[in-house]
Amino acid sequence: MTATTAQRRSAPVVVSSPITWARTHLFRTWWDSLLTIVFGALAAWAMVALVRFVATADLTILRVNLANFMVGRLPRDQMWRPALSMVLVMAAIGFIGGVASASARAAATEAGLPFRVTRPVEILRRQWPLLATIAAVLALTRSIGPTVAVVSGLAAASVAYLLARRSPPVVRKWAWLIALTMFVAAYLALTVAGGVGWNGWGGIHLNLFITAAGILLAFPIGLLLALGRRSSLPAVRWLSVTYIELIRGVPLITLLLLGIFAIGYFLPAGLAPGAVARVLTAITLFEAAYIAEVVRGGLQAVPAGQREASQALGMTPWKTMRRIILPQALRATIPAMVGQFISLYKDTTLVSLVGLFDVLTVSGAANSQPDFLAQGFEVVTLPFVALLFWVGSYSMSREARRLERRLGVGER
Amino acid sequence: MTRRLIALVAVLAMVAAACTTAAEDATTTAAPDDGTSETTTADTAPPTTGGGDTMAAVQERGSVLCGVNQAVPGFGFTDAEGLFSGFDIDYCRALAVAVLGDAEAVDYVPLDAAQRFTALQSGEIDVLIRNTTWTASRDGGEGATFLTTTFYDGQGMMVREDSGFTSVDDMADVAVCVLSGTTTELNLATRFGSIPYTPQTFEDNETLQAAFIAGQCDGWTSDKSQLAGVRSNFPDAEGGPESLVILDETFSKEPLGPAVRDGDSQWAQVVDWVVIVTILAEELGIESGNVDTFADTENEDIRRLLGLEITDSDGNTSVFDAGLGLDTGWSADVIAAVGNYGEIYERNVAPLGVPRGPNALWTEGGLIYGPPYR
Amino acid sequence: MATVAAAASSARPPWWRDLRVIRVVAQVVAAVVVGAALYVLWFNLTNNLRAQGIRTDFEFLDQPIGVNIAGSDIGSGASVRRALLVGLKNTAALGAVGLPILTVVGVLIGIARLSSNWIVSKLAAAYVELFRNLPPLLIIVFAFRAVVLRLPPAREAATPFDAFIVSNLSISVPGFRAQDGFETFWLLMAVALAVAVAVWVWRTRVFVSTGAPHRRVLWSVGLILVVAVVGYLAIGRPIGVTLPTLEGRAIRGGFTGFSSFFAVMGGLALYTASHVAEIVRGSIQAIPRGQGEAANALALSGFQRMRHVILPQATRIAIPPTINQYLNYVKNTSLAIAVGFADFVVIAFQAIGNGQPAPQLILLVMAGYLFFSLIISLVVNVLNRRLQLVTR
Repeated sequence: MTATTAQRRSAPVVVSSPITWARTHLFRTWWDSLLTIVFGALAAWAMVALVRFVATADLTILRVNLANFMVGRLPRDQMWRPALSMVLVMAAIGFIGGVASASARAAATEAGLPFRVTRPVEILRRQWPLLATIAAVLALTRSIGPTVAVVSGLAAASVAYLLARRSPPVVRKWAWLIALTMFVAAYLALTVAGGVGWNGWGGIHLNLFITAAGILLAFPIGLLLALGRRSSLPAVRWLSVTYIELIRGVPLITLLLLGIFAIGYFLPAGLAPGAVARVLTAITLFEAAYIAEVVRGGLQAVPAGQREASQALGMTPWKTMRRIILPQALRATIPAMVGQFISLYKDTTLVSLVGLFDVLTVSGAANSQPDFLAQGFEVVTLPFVALLFWVGSYSMSREARRLERRLGVGER
Repeated sequence: MTRRLIALVAVLAMVAAACTTAAEDATTTAAPDDGTSETTTADTAPPTTGGGDTMAAVQERGSVLCGVNQAVPGFGFTDAEGLFSGFDIDYCRALAVAVLGDAEAVDYVPLDAAQRFTALQSGEIDVLIRNTTWTASRDGGEGATFLTTTFYDGQGMMVREDSGFTSVDDMADVAVCVLSGTTTELNLATRFGSIPYTPQTFEDNETLQAAFIAGQCDGWTSDKSQLAGVRSNFPDAEGGPESLVILDETFSKEPLGPAVRDGDSQWAQVVDWVVIVTILAEELGIESGNVDTFADTENEDIRRLLGLEITDSDGNTSVFDAGLGLDTGWSADVIAAVGNYGEIYERNVAPLGVPRGPNALWTEGGLIYGPPYR
Repeated sequence: MATVAAAASSARPPWWRDLRVIRVVAQVVAAVVVGAALYVLWFNLTNNLRAQGIRTDFEFLDQPIGVNIAGSDIGSGASVRRALLVGLKNTAALGAVGLPILTVVGVLIGIARLSSNWIVSKLAAAYVELFRNLPPLLIIVFAFRAVVLRLPPAREAATPFDAFIVSNLSISVPGFRAQDGFETFWLLMAVALAVAVAVWVWRTRVFVSTGAPHRRVLWSVGLILVVAVVGYLAIGRPIGVTLPTLEGRAIRGGFTGFSSFFAVMGGLALYTASHVAEIVRGSIQAIPRGQGEAANALALSGFQRMRHVILPQATRIAIPPTINQYLNYVKNTSLAIAVGFADFVVIAFQAIGNGQPAPQLILLVMAGYLFFSLIISLVVNVLNRRLQLVTR
């Protein structure tokens, strides 16, 4: 002990400047420095090439074919239908978001926890890649119509969100029915009164429809299969397991081929579903098996004690399932379900291989139009299609991750 | 409990609403045949209905479901706006005029080569007018009935001019692009026989074309009419049409024509005679522009064809009705809407640079021949 | 109280509330319902097929395929069965080449994602985010249209270093050829392998009993390498190198792969590697931080920390999902249909297009993939059970 009084020294001041940051993160050892130089050069070259490509690319093929990419061969005088449909769908999504926020706030108030509402502007800011892509696509349009439609869709979504957030509990109780009505209305907007049935749809609209309809139709079947798989009745369990393992073991393209070529044979003579119906059937059967596995994961995440406690309280198995197990299980599956939704969204590109006029087929068709043939415009159309898929997938997975954190899944 | 019931009923009602609008679009073969005839005069034979009910289904639906190509210039092609045009498309429209009176009452169903017969068998389409070759196994095994050939074609090989190939025998060890699931593949294998080659099979014409242009294959084999269409559209940046040559030899006979399902002879006859009427019109010199000028002609064949009144030697007037179940004067409407065979050919195929050849009228040395309309 | 209890235990509930009866009845009902549905489907199927004159048996397997298949020697008269086997072989080739590549790339990128070098970790993150969110079909089509088709055309193939032939039809690399003495060499290598395994076991035993470093990899692999080199020189070049040469249009010698093969394999490997990278990253991050800190406290270098502490634990977590990704890769190879590479599904599709019965062929294809996936599922389940920590 040199000095009797312990000398208080102030904490060392860390000067954080770009130099020190670079020294720790980029040039710590000689190997680090080597990696930085090599990959830095690579990254710089790639960025320059990309910027140069985007700046000088000839986007006429996109401009001319934009309607094809978006809605396929829909008659151009019926374009108000997909616009109306989009507004309704966006309103429905806003509504669901608002209801979820209201429920979360109610639960938080009940538990005495603080709760911060999210303003629509924040949500829009969070989803900037999606908005940037929409803006880029709108920049390619040649009339004001699409922009008006998109802006009104966003406005409808925000209004629905705000209204739903302030909604009374009774609205929240029936929220699923209201949302379903809006989705059905969006569907009917396209088909009633001289509209175009789903065999006439195309482009990214067809991909989105198949995704949404596929998940919606497959969910009840998947739920039943998951419950069946965990059943104590051997026959039911055996049937569920067989179905799930069978479907999960084969590629989606084989099921699509089965749907196109063979479904007609399995139906009584005289019934002739169109191509989209057949593809949708195949995709529903496919997704049901994967959703069953997701739900099964959720069911496994519910502690065994929950079921035991409800049994101790004398609840019937059905009541247990409905009020205790399933709510917890399904809440746990939400992130994985979003993941499955994303996965299906990407898999819908396969319908181009069985003859549907989806966005990938449009890319091919656009490139074989006489004006654009053999001029190498695949490097324009394919990245455009890729962007549409990428941004949807990325935005949804970011929301899923955020949901996971907020729901505290796995953190109990 | 009641609330749950209300919810259930609401959901079912919405699902029913959605499904019925979808069903309006899906194909179902309709109620039993009513087989009505529209003739009014006494001389004509009663209509024959031959089992099957496609005719009634088409009339009830109000449109003809026509299975077509969408990427073959000159035969079945869509432009950037999604409008269909081509030789086969014109026959779809002719059929719609004959049955429904409206050339636009057609729902075009673009099909891959692999799915076209499945679509026909299952009832997804009423008629397949899609560059389809008439073969025995398709008649027998694919559940299809082929009608009058509209285009006599043959399979050929297209190569680049500067490759120096003059015949398939020069093409050993070369890669050849071909569409999967067509008779083209089978004929190619037969023609090459023991000469080694590398087939590159693609599922759609569009990828195939990209591969051919990039030089992944040096030969493209298909029906000569399709090759001509591709050649005429070949971009100048790649050398233009002159840089491609279609070899002279023909691998196979490819009679192309419309096909319908087995088991519905009334519908088959209707489609058949729509085609034949266009042929007869060219034989008799009737065109879309001059259909109305034959009101006073003495030529009985023309009067019968156009459904004009015929006065016989005793002063009785009659209008000829073949008993196909179509309205009187349907043939005049068809010719007015799409023209005769020659006009259809000139409009769609001639720009590709394909001479009439075997597709000329029989009076000019070709194979196009129409049975008498009487 | 006692009488109620006595009554409850001695009387069985009426049969409609008896759980045992309900269980049996429910299963019977389920079986009957499913059985009836399947029967109706089967009935419709056979009726419709018969009405169309399409056969319902598997005799078509002996019919001639009628077309030639790129890259194989079987003629157009070969049976459908043989053609399907060629397709199976091509799919297996896609797997055999692609799976190792994607493993290596995935692991490297997963580790790079956690690097302390900012540029490296951001680049790895960009790669993963890019490829994970794209549809695999799109990647394959892009690899074909925008990369492979831009290689030199087949009639003007490039020959870099005079040892390769590169065109958008096929890519040829130098290959190996068995010369005199190959059988002896082959036998020698087999013996060497057996001895190497014995050496491995011996060194492990030495390590266990004495604690001396086993260096068993050095011993075994070293033994094999020494035997290989000595044997090669002693026997006098039993393996020769063949360079691919162009004779007109034919390519003689070397190993040739179709460019569309590389498009499918490359695109899918890049896609699946991004998933594997995420798995690797997740499994490394799942290891408690204390492990890494303890390794640092023990003065292990970064490489040693990875090799002895982190990776062994991470591997245990990462293996089941990685094997799932392998399965996804194999299933995704069916997308070769888009670029004209003759794999299993494509050949079945060709046969369907040429008049073979569709339901049977598609069922055969599904059975083929199912076989692979069931085997892999089994392996995953066994591994899972062995690797799992026991919980309630």
